[in-house]
Amino acid sequence: MPRSTTALAGGLLVLAASLGAQQPGRIATESYSLPNGLTVVLAEDHSAQVVAVDVWYNVGSRNERPGRTGFAHLFEHMMFQGSANVAKGEHMALLERAGASFNGSTTEDRTNYFEAVPSNRLNLALWLEADRMRSLAVTDSNFDNQREAVKEERRLRVDNQPYMAAIFEQTYGAFDSTSCFPYAHSIIGSMDDLNAAKTPDVKAFFDLYYAPNNATLVVTGDFQPAEAKRLIEQYFGGIPRGQAPPPVTCEQSYTPGLQRRRVVDEKANLPAVVQVYRVPAYDDADMPALELLATILGQGESSRLNRALARDAKVAAAAQTMLNPFGPRRGPGIFLFFTIANQGVAVDTLDRLLTEQIARIGREGITPEELTKAQNSYRADLIFGRQTALSTAEALHTARMFLGSPEAVNTQLERYMKVTADDIRRVAAKYLRPENAFILIITTKDVTS
Amino acid sequence: MTRLPPARAHRAAARRPRVAVAAAALALLVPAMLTAQQRPPYPTEPPPPAPLTPAQFPPFQQATLANGLKLVVVESHDQPVLSLSLAMPAGSAYDPAGKEGLAAMVAGLLDKGAGQRTAEEIAATIEGVGGTLGAGAGADFLTARASVLSNDADLAFTLLGDVVLRPTFPEQEVELARTQTLSGLQLELSQPASLAERFFDANLYGQHPYARHPTPESIRAITRDDLVAYQRARLRPQGALLVVAGDISLADARQRAERIFGGWTGTAPEGAAFPTPPQRTRTEIVLVHRPGSVQSNIVVGNTTFGPASPLRPASNVANQVLGGGSDSRLFMILREQKGWTYGAYSSFARPLGVGAFQASAEVRTAVTDSALREMLTQLRRLRSEPVPAMELEAAKGSLIGSFPLTVETAAQIAGAVSNALLYGLGTDYLHDYRTNLAAVTAADVAKVAQTAIRPDSALIVVVGDATKLYDQLQAIAPVRLVNAQGDPLTPADLTPKASSVTLDPRRLAVGSDSFVVMLQGKPFGYQTSVTARAPDGGYTVTETTVLGPVGTQHTTLTFTDRLAMRRVEQSGTMQGQAMKTDVAYANGKATGTAATPQPPTGQVQTVAVSADVPAGAIDDNAVVALLPTLPWTADAKLTLPVFAAGSNALQMQTFAVTGTEPVTVPLGTFPAYRVEVTGGQAPVTYWIEQAAPHRVLKIAPAGAPITVERAR
Repeated sequence: MPRSTTALAGGLLVLAASLGAQQPGRIATESYSLPNGLTVVLAEDHSAQVVAVDVWYNVGSRNERPGRTGFAHLFEHMMFQGSANVAKGEHMALLERAGASFNGSTTEDRTNYFEAVPSNRLNLALWLEADRMRSLAVTDSNFDNQREAVKEERRLRVDNQPYMAAIFEQTYGAFDSTSCFPYAHSIIGSMDDLNAAKTPDVKAFFDLYYAPNNATLVVTGDFQPAEAKRLIEQYFGGIPRGQAPPPVTCEQSYTPGLQRRRVVDEKANLPAVVQVYRVPAYDDADMPALELLATILGQGESSRLNRALARDAKVAAAAQTMLNPFGPRRGPGIFLFFTIANQGVAVDTLDRLLTEQIARIGREGITPEELTKAQNSYRADLIFGRQTALSTAEALHTARMFLGSPEAVNTQLERYMKVTADDIRRVAAKYLRPENAFILIITTKDVTS
Repeated sequence: MTRLPPARAHRAAARRPRVAVAAAALALLVPAMLTAQQRPPYPTEPPPPAPLTPAQFPPFQQATLANGLKLVVVESHDQPVLSLSLAMPAGSAYDPAGKEGLAAMVAGLLDKGAGQRTAEEIAATIEGVGGTLGAGAGADFLTARASVLSNDADLAFTLLGDVVLRPTFPEQEVELARTQTLSGLQLELSQPASLAERFFDANLYGQHPYARHPTPESIRAITRDDLVAYQRARLRPQGALLVVAGDISLADARQRAERIFGGWTGTAPEGAAFPTPPQRTRTEIVLVHRPGSVQSNIVVGNTTFGPASPLRPASNVANQVLGGGSDSRLFMILREQKGWTYGAYSSFARPLGVGAFQASAEVRTAVTDSALREMLTQLRRLRSEPVPAMELEAAKGSLIGSFPLTVETAAQIAGAVSNALLYGLGTDYLHDYRTNLAAVTAADVAKVAQTAIRPDSALIVVVGDATKLYDQLQAIAPVRLVNAQGDPLTPADLTPKASSVTLDPRRLAVGSDSFVVMLQGKPFGYQTSVTARAPDGGYTVTETTVLGPVGTQHTTLTFTDRLAMRRVEQSGTMQGQAMKTDVAYANGKATGTAATPQPPTGQVQTVAVSADVPAGAIDDNAVVALLPTLPWTADAKLTLPVFAAGSNALQMQTFAVTGTEPVTVPLGTFPAYRVEVTGGQAPVTYWIEQAAPHRVLKIAPAGAPITVERAR
């Protein structure tokens, strides 16, 4: 594969700047498409007798329309309910008997389904994915009971847990729901929308988004490419192409200027502050610096906020950061601060001290040690992740969907290693400023006074 | 205005490698009809497994240093990572009697100060390179581990050497570890499944050290000197195994090991001749009374062969058929078909000394005997009926298939190799693991079941409400009845008796109290309590409890002038769920309703309360308010009937003074009686002021890492 001169020079500079720093092994990929539009990415690696089969559908909550929210996540459930040749419950039983590990998940930008199997069961994993892509059982009874399962999941994970409604739902208020609906509503969606939905709506959603032309299949690990291609052609080749899904648009994503909201959380017994700052899409040049900044500020015992707010000033019971809590986005994202006030600390005091800590980064920057630690931690996580077929498959999908090519997986680390302390200060000043903030003050339902 | 890019398919296509472009172009040229004709038909059945490729487990090389330390290197350069695992024969089996938990505490403290570094410095150093470091103790071995990028090999070897050879055991860290261990232990003792495991081990292993588990007393008895002595006596190079896996050569690993561990000296730690567990000739049930329990935890099992037996592969398959997963017989029958249980499983434990088989289930109280009978039936069936071919293949498929997924990373490989060598499984064990499983026949499974699974000379432990279980279990096998502390009970003890303890109303101080709720030493919530005289001469106690983000609770207790219970009203929320209790006491009965969180899910359920209560019974919510009025002395041991409305159960609770000691709370330091309460669902410790009016100073409930301490 030819590499451009600029890329090569950039790579050398990075190498010189971080002399001795280690790189993950290079991943050789092969990409092609079937005539029905299914994109296939293969990455052979015989270091363990494991194969990962990982299908990403280019559909997430960003594709939902007003009045039809929660469909993408509902489908994640529907996909385990059986298909033309797989009876209800059989999908999981077949995989368990093969010794596989498997699951699925939904974010704003994509829905994924994956299996890690011993190499001699590649055929089973591919066939199960093909069977549900070609013939999912979208029946009234499956729809009804999975709608109930989603409601139960919502009760357990959102409604019954303190602060979760704020993080799962209210943070979407940072974006404008008329001009940027894709990123202004939650993944779990509205239960009213789900209640109002009828089976034909669900079938239409399946036909539009669960077609091969809207999916990418990544196979990594211990397989022979010729055999994998033969099986992929046999199992997926006959699935008809679907309509091209409509484009996702986000015009004028938010209104500039500080927004503050106060919400009451009946589950919470301590008040909390959630500060949300809008950040650009994953492929933006500023994002690596923002991600390292999130680590420096709010990940781990020795992070800035934990030291300043929890250990020294003792105003916070907990303080952490999240950059796009559910996964990367092609549209506008969020840099989220979540802090819980200590007993007896006024929530506005916590809000003020948090804001001051954030402002300090823009004024004074960070130490070289903080940057090195965050970069080392990023690099080690990335390299440790390359040891398993499944996390390698996810990395290839991420590179393809968010950076434009699965090959970007091999240059991903450079984006982070070339970040300087000046970059961190610059992005802090650019994005983490009051005019770009959406602040949620969570108060408790006061029962004691 | 921004318009989001569509899916990146176009860009990806532009960067497609040459070969694939040709393939795609070809595909476009070929008419779709032709492609369809050439494509093999779509299978309507799941495709059968492809042949197993020969195992290619990374080969490993061995060396022994002059001091006796064994070194194993599993060389693999797939990624620049390195995983170190250093195991020593210093597991909990070597805990001195009365100091159970010592090995685990040593392991937990190794990286909390070592060489020239403090705990924080060690954590910052390893986090600074994105690595991990830690240690743990199993039954036989204590293992310290480190994972780093291979460029940081120096750091990993240095830190591993420091924590194993030069731990400093700072006093402050020892006390923190003790507090955390005690909190964890309290949680463990409050959970019926843990209680069942403890009673199973204690009764199965007898005098063998595998019988023993840490207790609050043994954890409190451990001194810093004990930790230092244990580290010196048992962390020795003889008998130790260092496994290095990943991006390193044998020569390099050996050189580093020599440099860091070459000066490590000491003869082999003393071996111990462990007593043989008791032989059973008939089945016996140990019934552990847990008053008010709505579920029963059942464990059935027996001792069996150790780790290196040739029967091991067949026993793995037998276990998978019986209860290894959610596709196995116990789960399918007890849960899916009968709906009796939240889960039912079986397993073989194979420590060095004596192995054990067990089947376990957590079931509703009412179906305890049916579930136990069904479990015994399934154990007998595995011995007498050959496993059908389909079922055998499914079980073998699951075990063989999941194996590669357990040895994918350097750390997983280091662990697997380490176990194979430590337990004497042989150097070919991992290489032959799958083929040995594949060779197991239905006859092998029946044979191993007949040897290793003995339902007719088994130990059965049931933890549950013995008032409801005693008679139904007697019909299955002889029952030995004990309380949660292991003290023998007679069936007569299950019938509550009237209280013989006189409460002294003069000690019920009118006024207000306040307590701080501490979570692992940090303020987490508070409790206030106001005691007032009622117009008719009785008493009213009003309490408010706020538990951080977890919940709030308001309680109003009313008593007669002689402190007989009248009424308990309670409302609040716990983890977002509303709770409400209203129980009236009159004419020897408690009546009303209670909506409280129920095990095992913690979901609030409303139960109607209607129970006969003996004279002098107190509501469990009134215990703290009434404690000062009990006749306290330095050797007091008082037994009271206590009614728990949430589980509609009457419990005989014993309040015993187990020591006198000063206790420091936010209000100050006071000479106190240490009072241990047993007989409830979980033990609780109170500290009560020695001087009248015997104010409650501190409360440490089991099952939560919290204490309640008097502030006013």
